[in-house]
Amino acid sequence: MSRTIEMSELRKRYGANDVVAGVSLDVGVGVTGLLGPNGAGKTTLMRMLATVLAPTGGHLRILGRDLDDAEQRTDVRRQLGYMPQEPGFHRHFTVFEFVDYVAILKEMTDTHARHREVRRVLERVDLGDVAGRRIRKLSGGMRKRVAMAQALLGDPRLLVLDEPASALDPEQRMRFRELISELGDGRIVLVSTHQTDDVAALCQRVIVLRDGHAAFDGTPAQLSALARDRVWIADTRDDRAQLSWRTAEGRHRHVGDPPLGARLVSPTIEDGYLLLAGPAAIGKELAA
Amino acid sequence: MSTHIQAELLNAYARGDVDGAHAYSIEAHVVGCGECQASIGGLVAADRLERVWAEVGDRLDAPRVSPLEALLSRVGVREHLARLLVATPALRLSWLGSGALVLVFAAWAASQQPGGVYWFLVLAPLLPLAGVAAAYGPDVDPTYEVGLAAPLSSFGLLLIRALAVLVSTSAMVAISSLALPGLHWSAAAWLLPSLALTLCSLALATRVSAITACGSLAVVWMLATSVGRHIAEQPLDVFAPATQLACALLAVGAALVVVRNAENFERRGDLT
Repeated sequence: MSRTIEMSELRKRYGANDVVAGVSLDVGVGVTGLLGPNGAGKTTLMRMLATVLAPTGGHLRILGRDLDDAEQRTDVRRQLGYMPQEPGFHRHFTVFEFVDYVAILKEMTDTHARHREVRRVLERVDLGDVAGRRIRKLSGGMRKRVAMAQALLGDPRLLVLDEPASALDPEQRMRFRELISELGDGRIVLVSTHQTDDVAALCQRVIVLRDGHAAFDGTPAQLSALARDRVWIADTRDDRAQLSWRTAEGRHRHVGDPPLGARLVSPTIEDGYLLLAGPAAIGKELAA
Repeated sequence: MSTHIQAELLNAYARGDVDGAHAYSIEAHVVGCGECQASIGGLVAADRLERVWAEVGDRLDAPRVSPLEALLSRVGVREHLARLLVATPALRLSWLGSGALVLVFAAWAASQQPGGVYWFLVLAPLLPLAGVAAAYGPDVDPTYEVGLAAPLSSFGLLLIRALAVLVSTSAMVAISSLALPGLHWSAAAWLLPSLALTLCSLALATRVSAITACGSLAVVWMLATSVGRHIAEQPLDVFAPATQLACALLAVGAALVVVRNAENFERRGDLT
């Protein structure tokens, strides 16, 4: 069986807008990061890859399967773990009950085997101790981990994780990176995020979406390199810079054309992303 | 004299060859004795130990069986199906309680005034319809999106939940219809319209959202019965055998559409 996702001129239209406007990519084993400003089409693309949204046009094959065929689509779903951007919960359920419920949706009908699998995935995300706690009593970060646990049910070959690290505190974020990097061995893992540092730390490959198109496809190092010779440090703010902000040391970091008296510095993946994604990303990143 | 359990007795316990009283005594001691815990750990087979731990875990964490789930199991519904059904919003106690209150009021109103039975028969089929609208979909089921990505057929899930809603609400309507004055054929005249409306809602749900389908059908039903009342000589003539036959045919037609168009539902999704 193929171990790739193949997209060719993939489109999704809502009304008159092409939210995803002709994306052609092949994604293979390993961790691939999907970056992009709000409204770039990340979530729509992730939903199509998770088989919950049908494309308006183009071709999509997942693990060698054609999603237009009902049986092949079901076969893909048997090998898929999906964590939506805003996972919903039956709030009166306990953690165990919720994951157990999703396990039933994943065709795990044998009670004992299913409960064993539920315990396994809860341990995997360090939630074994709160299995009996009601979901409504959990923090945002713990709920994210519950959502992650259900995605791991059945040890899927393909993981589609839409902003899995949002709402996690720094320690949880490190544990999350550890988990994702382990999962990337032998699986296709697609991670959508706003966090460029997560991409730099985790992903072998990064795709930047802008206005529904794939504006960049390469390694994190290649994304950083886009800003080579375009990142500067100066003592004062200069309006000629494309982007400028005050650093923790009180100096000004400029991205774009060099202001007077500025010193060239090494770019980061964030600099490359900001240059590439343009004003939409700038507003988001600088406000954060 | 040794304060630990003799090896022979521990062996018998590990094989499961001791009676209940002895087993209880051994367990009471082993819980507080590290040395005996270590001894017995090597005697019990790994698979048995794993099974015991699984049972302990189930006692602590496994889903509680709700009264509805227990009832479903008692009538032969399999455990995993029962769990899917108890997550149905329209089968939650609060929802069913509200429906029951509406029915009690409708039955009481019907018994208080001439022509009240007509209104009972108009309103009764709307209850299962509302139940189907609240059974499955992005607006009512928080796990809808995760469910769409799972291999279990989402339309299949809608069907089993709609069936459960139809059965439970029909039972409620049947009980409340016993309170109607001058019990005769009209007490059951809601049944076929209920079935037809529910199946039509499922047929429409292959094209539009379940809420839109049920809302539209409720409006059509109210308009149709209102027009019928103006044409008919007596209000209850609206539910005469001709109407019942039409509803039966409609139900069959809708069932055929459901079978033919189920794939549309699977592909469509309602995500925005």
